[in-house]
Amino acid sequence: MQDLLYFFQQLINGLTIGSTYALIAIGYTMVYGIIGMINFAHGEIYMIGAYTALIAITGLATLGITWLPIVLLVALICAVIVSSSMGWAVERVAYRPVRGRHRLIPLISAIGMSIFLQNYVHLAQGSRNIGFPALIEGGFQLGSEDTFPLSISYIQITIFITTLICMTALSTFIARSRTGRACRAVSQDLGMASLLGIDTNRIISATFVIGAALAAVAGLLLGMYYGSVDPLFGFIAGLKAFTAAVLGGIGSIPGAMLGGLILGVAESMTSGYLSGEYKDVVSFGLLILILLFKPTGLLGKPEVEKI
Amino acid sequence: MKMSVKKLATAVGTSVALMAAGQAAAEIKIGVAGPMTGPVAQYGDMQFAGTRMAIERINAQGGVMGEELVAVEMDDACDPKQAVTVANRMVNEGVKFVVGHLCSSSTQPASDIYYDEGILMVTPAATSPAITERGYDTVFRTIGLDSMQGPAAANYIAAQGPERVAIVHDKQQYGEGIATAVRDTLEDKGVDIAMFEGITAGDKDFSSLVTKIKQADVDYVYYGGYHPELGLILRQARQANVDATFMGPEGVGNDGITSIAGEAAEGLLVTLPPAFDQKAENQELAEAFAEKGEDPSGPFVLTSYAAVQVIADGIEMAESTDPFEVADALRSGTFETPIGTIEYDEDGDMESFEFVVYEWHADGSKTVAK
Amino acid sequence: MAANNIKHALFCAVITLVISYPILGLNLVADGAVVYLEGATTFTVVSVFLAAVVVFLFQLFRDDIMARLGFISRLNPLSGRDPMPQQKRAKLESWVLTGIIVLALFWPFFVSRGSVDLATLVLIYIMLALGLNVVVGLAGLLDLGYVAFYAVGAYTFALLSQYAGFSFWMALPIGACLAALFGLVLGFPVLRLRGDYLAIVTLGFGEIIRILLNNWTNLTGGPNGIGGIPEPTLFGMEFGRRIKEEGNTSFHETLGIAYASEHKVIFLYLIALVLAVITGLIIRRFMRMPVGRAWEALREDEIAARSLGLSRTAVKLSAFTIGAFFAGFAGTVFASKQGFISPESFVFLESAIVLAIVVLGGMGSQIGVILAAIAVTILPELAREFSDYRMLVFGAAMVLMMVWRPQGLLPMRRIHIELGKQG
Repeated sequence: MQDLLYFFQQLINGLTIGSTYALIAIGYTMVYGIIGMINFAHGEIYMIGAYTALIAITGLATLGITWLPIVLLVALICAVIVSSSMGWAVERVAYRPVRGRHRLIPLISAIGMSIFLQNYVHLAQGSRNIGFPALIEGGFQLGSEDTFPLSISYIQITIFITTLICMTALSTFIARSRTGRACRAVSQDLGMASLLGIDTNRIISATFVIGAALAAVAGLLLGMYYGSVDPLFGFIAGLKAFTAAVLGGIGSIPGAMLGGLILGVAESMTSGYLSGEYKDVVSFGLLILILLFKPTGLLGKPEVEKI
Repeated sequence: MKMSVKKLATAVGTSVALMAAGQAAAEIKIGVAGPMTGPVAQYGDMQFAGTRMAIERINAQGGVMGEELVAVEMDDACDPKQAVTVANRMVNEGVKFVVGHLCSSSTQPASDIYYDEGILMVTPAATSPAITERGYDTVFRTIGLDSMQGPAAANYIAAQGPERVAIVHDKQQYGEGIATAVRDTLEDKGVDIAMFEGITAGDKDFSSLVTKIKQADVDYVYYGGYHPELGLILRQARQANVDATFMGPEGVGNDGITSIAGEAAEGLLVTLPPAFDQKAENQELAEAFAEKGEDPSGPFVLTSYAAVQVIADGIEMAESTDPFEVADALRSGTFETPIGTIEYDEDGDMESFEFVVYEWHADGSKTVAK
Repeated sequence: MAANNIKHALFCAVITLVISYPILGLNLVADGAVVYLEGATTFTVVSVFLAAVVVFLFQLFRDDIMARLGFISRLNPLSGRDPMPQQKRAKLESWVLTGIIVLALFWPFFVSRGSVDLATLVLIYIMLALGLNVVVGLAGLLDLGYVAFYAVGAYTFALLSQYAGFSFWMALPIGACLAALFGLVLGFPVLRLRGDYLAIVTLGFGEIIRILLNNWTNLTGGPNGIGGIPEPTLFGMEFGRRIKEEGNTSFHETLGIAYASEHKVIFLYLIALVLAVITGLIIRRFMRMPVGRAWEALREDEIAARSLGLSRTAVKLSAFTIGAFFAGFAGTVFASKQGFISPESFVFLESAIVLAIVVLGGMGSQIGVILAAIAVTILPELAREFSDYRMLVFGAAMVLMMVWRPQGLLPMRRIHIELGKQG
């Protein structure tokens, strides 16, 4: 019984982490789906979202505003605005001028952007870890104290629900709205879409903005859940999210969700039953295996090489 | 083309060396190497504050054998690669006595060079036993070893009579070294070690680890490593209602832990060198620091001060600035410093170095644990 | 049009403010348990606003500015000049290179020990960058885990010397070959992947190697690293003050000269120089060989190259293996120079720095890569206060290079072989 409860507890831990990976993974998957490049700097945009949220929360606290819904809302809005602007600016500065060149060129540009943003925040805010207030505290327990109580915190529930809402909203948006249809058209054939009168530049910008906004949401949630931010934490989270995107099939939004959850659970089971030291080995190993044996991922469509 | 850049570098290097040589008439150079930049720069600040104060005060009292001490400060960013470059530049500058380095991983490769070149080195902060284990007769320190701090913590834990203990470390030289020492001592005392596990430094998600600790149902968790990770572990453990007592080495005992863990830091146990700045005999020194706007309470400020003083006293005692003679003097004498009376054993370690267990509070203050 | 322009310019200026003001202008300060915000200095705030104004003006007069900028290239007095004849240029280049090498041979005897030590580090980076240049610049395979092979070389030497007492000279070929073997084994499965997937997989591989080195405490000492790695010897003569190994003699005693600490450093520098020159020469040879041409052909157009009968796997694998080989070379020298290695020295940042060198130097060009390696290593040493900004500048430079001059500062010129004129 206790072992089973332990398993479920690790499962919950894994699903929580996994759903935030999924939120970040959306940014990778949408951009890849449309212009076929890995936006290496996406992890940094997530990190900037977390920093902005923290700045907003601290600012509100200084002003004496502590009513939770207001604080959360303002932090969310600030983070989303700054991250989306960053996403937009990064695309304009580093990716648009090199679009359509040799595949390596946008990728190197993206790596450069990632290094730049990391050090930008490092220089502006210092390299120290800064504590992030846990705004949503508490939780409930199943089972009694003398066996192994299964505990689920409210923040875990919040993360899970927010992810579901964002995913559903995004899927509906892509499926129903005019911009969403244009997105799908552009991702199928950029040249053709532009011939048909779709402003492809605007659609590509929109993709970056949407991805960045979701990353900002993840930044706020994870900041509260983990408890601290530092300029380097976006990079590894970005890699994990990218792994999730590839795992689920890059270009596919439900795939990102699935990939994120699988990756989160795999990590948490590795730490739970093996050792935390090998967590990263397992996720990178998983990535390598998937790319080698099923490069299209679990839900992806095979890509036809265009000549 | 290749040449011209190198030549430029050389020209700059030599001109600096020449300038230094010009004024080298009656002074003793003390090299101070530690991180001015990089992730642990805040510890480097403590080191430089301590050495600057020591050199200033010794010079004010007439210097060493009538000669002035002059600091040669260099930045190694706690990076082993830069530490080697710094060590070579110290040799260049004709430095014979070095206070440094700070991190064990950069001290070790640098000490190879100092030993080869016959330079006396006193590290005020590197605690890895490996540094003095290699029979280098010119390497000393003014800080305890992981193998002293670990047992101090383990003895405290064992005295509380716990049933089970978990040990976690960050897989870095410092953290794993102390954690291993704690484990060995506890095992000798027959305490049940429920888990001994590494984490990834820089990680943020410890929910799985916390669940594991909770299942292991331990009374004490010892963490070997630095504050960013322990802060998060504490917070996530409180969130999951883990009621074990946490304990860590001096690497976790700073403001950072309070900022990250907040309320969860209450009751954390930390082994620290005794608060030297609180000692009655150091009151005047503490005021001198306060006058300069420096904080003497950091764990490495007064050890760095003591390192300079030990070198100065050693030179006086040997009546020579030859590093080998000074090294012999250090091994034979006893020295009164702000961190207490220092006597060295054959390896260059202090005969004894006391660690005190403090209890940390949510507001960042600490009291001696009972 | 004008109204549209103003709207766009305003938008860009506002975005500039939004992305810079919160991060730069409001600093989080942790004081004990309390975190509060501190306004940045007036200077920073003014700069942020100035930046927004500059962006506004630039976007407003963008077309004009771009047209003006066209002049600059016309101002270059050399731009209209005919390219130097191929043969003359090649001759000049080889003379210049020989001159540089001769100078580099004698230079260390006249300068300080610190400079020589730094120069050795530069040479190690040159070796690394020349090796990575084959993979990224010539074959067009983005390898983000290059540091893994560097680690393999360094750890091979460290382990061989610790457990089996191998000397530098015995370990050098073994380290390089083992690194090459790693490249071969890793390359075999992953080279089927497309460019960007390959980048990620190599990055993951690099991290896995580092984590394994860190966790395999019994063999590698884990985070404690391996110390006491011997320096190279010259015909059994050691350069240290005291002899470390039985049977060796000491350099200064054998030659009957006074001990000088510089000997060791200079000797190491000379070894690194010779190895770097060898690396350069071998790769230069490869570039002129059919396999070198095949690398470039595959980089330029994979489908065309394959339809001409080039084996994709064989060509890519050869580039990957050769790159790994030289990383192993550099790793062995690094281990010997440091005397102590730990997994800390083989992090992703190191891969990124080597990549930055290759990119800045112009992918494919050897002289460019050498110059970039010198600049990237020496500049932060010359101005310590600059070292904080080093990575920021590298990142920005990588983006700017890709946008404006993807071929690099000194782009490679393909070697032509002309047939004698007919009749």
